[in-house]
Amino acid sequence: MSAHDKKWEALTDHLKLSRRDFVFSGMAAGALTLTPRFVRAQAGMPYKIGVLLPSTGTGANYMAHAIKGLPVAIAELNKRGGLLGKHQVEMVYRDTETKPDVGAREAKSLILNDKVDAIFGTYSSAVALAVQEIVHEHKVLHFAATSNSSKITQDNFTPYTYQFCPDSNMQSGAVVVAVSRMAKKNNWKTYVSLGQDYEWGRDTHKGFTTGLAKVAPNIKEARQMWFKLGETDFTSYITAIMAAKPDFMFGAVAGKDAETFMQQAGQMGLFKRVPFPGGLIAVNDLKAQRKTLPRGIIGLARCPFFAHLKEPIMQAYIKRDRTAFGPDGYPDDWACMYYDALGGLEQGAKKAGSTSTEAIVKALKGASVETCRGKRSFRDCSNQLDVPSYVGEVWDSPDYPFPIYKPDTMILVEGHEVWTQSCEDVDKLKKKRA
Amino acid sequence: MDIAPYALQLFSGLSRAMVLFLLSAGLSLIFGVMNILNFAHATLWLLSGYVTFSIFTFLGQQFGASPWMLVPAIAGAVAVMALVGFALERFLIRHTYDRELPEQLLLTFALVLILGDVIKLIWGLENRRINLGVRPIEMLDTLVNPYQFVIIGTGVAVAVGLWLFLHRTRLGKIVRAAVYSRSMVSALGIPIPKIYALVFALGVGLAALAGGVFLPLLPMALGVDLDIIVQCFAVVVIGGFGSMLGTFVASIIVGVVYSFSILFWPDGALAMIFLIVIAVLIVRPWGLFGTELRY
Repeated sequence: MSAHDKKWEALTDHLKLSRRDFVFSGMAAGALTLTPRFVRAQAGMPYKIGVLLPSTGTGANYMAHAIKGLPVAIAELNKRGGLLGKHQVEMVYRDTETKPDVGAREAKSLILNDKVDAIFGTYSSAVALAVQEIVHEHKVLHFAATSNSSKITQDNFTPYTYQFCPDSNMQSGAVVVAVSRMAKKNNWKTYVSLGQDYEWGRDTHKGFTTGLAKVAPNIKEARQMWFKLGETDFTSYITAIMAAKPDFMFGAVAGKDAETFMQQAGQMGLFKRVPFPGGLIAVNDLKAQRKTLPRGIIGLARCPFFAHLKEPIMQAYIKRDRTAFGPDGYPDDWACMYYDALGGLEQGAKKAGSTSTEAIVKALKGASVETCRGKRSFRDCSNQLDVPSYVGEVWDSPDYPFPIYKPDTMILVEGHEVWTQSCEDVDKLKKKRA
Repeated sequence: MDIAPYALQLFSGLSRAMVLFLLSAGLSLIFGVMNILNFAHATLWLLSGYVTFSIFTFLGQQFGASPWMLVPAIAGAVAVMALVGFALERFLIRHTYDRELPEQLLLTFALVLILGDVIKLIWGLENRRINLGVRPIEMLDTLVNPYQFVIIGTGVAVAVGLWLFLHRTRLGKIVRAAVYSRSMVSALGIPIPKIYALVFALGVGLAALAGGVFLPLLPMALGVDLDIIVQCFAVVVIGGFGSMLGTFVASIIVGVVYSFSILFWPDGALAMIFLIVIAVLIVRPWGLFGTELRY
């Protein structure tokens, strides 16, 4: 085998494509750039999805399964004939590098050059807010499933964006429920906050402190610390947290930074001294840190597969991903939510009887969709899917090669239980768009 | 007054300082001798981390998993990366010596992108980490990570080793002389191209050592290199390009100031570092221990 063939094999193995598929996809993509989007949507032409997720930067470790899982899910959809049984779905992937300027640039390129019909992504809320301006201007569908600042569906609302993951307020609300119960039990009085210094971190922190002040006004925040995205050494933060001697700590930390923080905090024994309830511990964290994650720690998840094993869609999804990616290939929260987004698109097109953007937007407004997390409805005023957040104790299960949340400790907090804004409030927040 | 929190903050600051020193030493040496601002230095460090991970995993499979396998894994990675550094200098970097700084920066930035893709192709997107099973120990009524002593010890050992190399060996003295005046060194009949290749290999080797030593603390992930390189530039600017003593002292300043800022003014921790950089650039642009004269 020549060096060229080996390189080719490595590339196609990574992308799960055959050489023939690659050539055909390339030819099809070339032809499609010459065809206006509205014409393709009418005549059984392929439907193009632009996927904007990071394979570099702080969210790369969270998005790896989604990036490799979406082509498999799309292939499965195409086997059924594609959207409406006649529109094959094609995927174009772009790396956002978790940077708003790169995300906006790539969104524009996907819409203008690749003529995509919908955009899936992004990881970071800051990137999503930038991308929303582009999708609104060009009237392109946008399915968000990771970036979850509440601003995406409220202040920066656009009818083209649909949100498939619990927003930052819903997540903070879930943590407030869990923390207030634990605080009552353990007589906690003070806490320290540590967060990523950007849109999502600040938004999540605000949601938590506001929510906790309402249900437990006697608990005070001793101090807050913010670090820049991509911090590599948390040692000084950890010693400062221990020096403050709080009863517990709250964290708005995600992605690569969460992995680094958890590793360094575990090695320094932080969790032996300071409880850390409600830190984001998704399935990918449970898998990647299976040896080092402190057992008994209370984590927060967005779409853990083990919480919905009875759902037929989840069962089929787990089976398919384990077949594609090996016995350890259980889908993580992020891949799960993008899978639901793809399902939402398919169901939206079916309900609309069309693949045109305006028809799908209309069909999905306030609609219910079948997901890995059961049947869920979009909130009429914000396009936010009413999905739960999950809080539970990390525990070694005999059924999996990595820890999961202990079933009898898991609290499932429904989205509508912790919606802090009424629809009237949301409407007031929405910025005026041209 | 309870001094324990301050002592611990000093300890964590020193640990951070040695992390920065190990990474910045090679960067400073390369710029000091060769006048090349190697933007890809942290990416070579990142690549070294992945190489160390692979060797560590391989050794574990062959001889049984043990934390001690990290030592030969780091040694192997340093050797591999020093060769990579030597080859890079011979085939790429040497073509840019007569070019303007922006062109050098463009070339080394291209290396950042290329090496990033190489990592993606070989190791994929998932982060790589090793677990030594380190357990915290009690110190001053709180818990600390004993591996931080390894980091501080390695940093001090490398500083002493570099000082001995630069002051007690013939080659080291030539390197020091090249920092001050390359034309004079060349006039003495010393082959500058060879010195350059060796210095670049040494700089990359130091980055490899840093990559291996950090691996138990920091998961190797794409993008980490760009997160850390800015602080390394801050260290080298404060200390003075080419000065090992300056790099060492500046690392301690940056590490300790950052650590105490987190204790007293967490929102301004990073700003404090760059205020020092600005002050140095205004008052002493060649750095605290750098030299003003270059020929």
